Amino acid sequence: MADCPHTIGVEFGTRIIEVSGQKIKLQIWDTAGQERFRAVTRSYYRGAAGALMVYDITRRSTYNHLSSWLTDTRNLTNPSTVIFLIGNKCDLDAQRDVTYEEAKQFADENGLMFVEASAKTGENVEEAFLETAKKIYQSIQDGRLDLNAAESGVQHKPSQPGRNTLMNDQQANKDSCAC
Amino acid sequence: MQNDVNMYNFFCKLAAFHLKASFKIMCYIHTISLEFQKYEQVYNEQLKKGTVTQKAQFEYAWCLVRSKFSADIRKGIIFLEELYQNGNEEGRRDDLYYLAIGNARIKVGVLMFESVNSVLRFLNFVCSVAILEYSTALHYVRTFLQIEPGNQQVQKLETLIRKKMEKEGLIGMAMAGGVVLAIGGLVGLGLALARK
Repeated sequence: MADCPHTIGVEFGTRIIEVSGQKIKLQIWDTAGQERFRAVTRSYYRGAAGALMVYDITRRSTYNHLSSWLTDTRNLTNPSTVIFLIGNKCDLDAQRDVTYEEAKQFADENGLMFVEASAKTGENVEEAFLETAKKIYQSIQDGRLDLNAAESGVQHKPSQPGRNTLMNDQQANKDSCAC
Repeated sequence: MQNDVNMYNFFCKLAAFHLKASFKIMCYIHTISLEFQKYEQVYNEQLKKGTVTQKAQFEYAWCLVRSKFSADIRKGIIFLEELYQNGNEEGRRDDLYYLAIGNARIKVGVLMFESVNSVLRFLNFVCSVAILEYSTALHYVRTFLQIEPGNQQVQKLETLIRKKMEKEGLIGMAMAGGVVLAIGGLVGLGLALARK
């Protein structure tokens, strides 16, 4: 715990990635999972185009809390918000407390995307964000996500012709210490 | 002609983009002020009953230090100092973090001046007050980093405070320099007019 303590309140980061030849700037908001911040971080859900819900595969209690986090996420975001379930610490397979199959089933039942990852080794971390961005991009292409809606969480920058940039509010919602 | 139409379309799009962006920001600010009212109300109700929970105090303080008004921020800082002294070990790092943020966010208001002398005195005051508040912020950051030296979130905050300090120190100097130049110009103009 000493080398990786929990997030305080909320932390921000940006990253530019490419999906289908389009440059997309992800704006990533990492919110604290502690009970103390539960109420105040709720205000950051609004307008998120995607949400990453992280639990710890070695601690069952974090998995058991998922449904209440999911309720919060569903209530405070749009129906088109992409929700991704992530089982963290997959490098600690020996201490596993939640099976892949069980979590996968939970994800399928609730229409969530799912992957197991490790923040420590970096396994599947990049992929999770890329997949979320792809899914959001697809929603825009299909017309499920309306860019003109105030709360779509996505901005289209027309200022530079030929180089379209999509701004993307993405929220990484960390359930307890995800490191 | 075609070019003009293209330009017109371009500016229409640009204007629409900015309007949309500012609308989003307005919506966001609106949500924040609603949150603020909610937590303020909870705190005041508990205060009336006589017992304020640490949760309510922290949530209200969290809103206060993020306010744009210095008076709110100062109030938030007092609450956080209280929480830091009485709170549990686990929550203390959060209190420290927001104490640093609060102190780094205080701005000294602009006043009206009656004479050149008061301008200079005010500039001096602004510089010293700003430096005092930033060093308080840095003090909290350092206390935090003594306990958790590798915390990236707090390291980032430290860099940010140092940059702000440097920038505002330079601005202060530039402002003082500008005032001196302006006075010099006025005196020069006066002399030139007097000679005529």
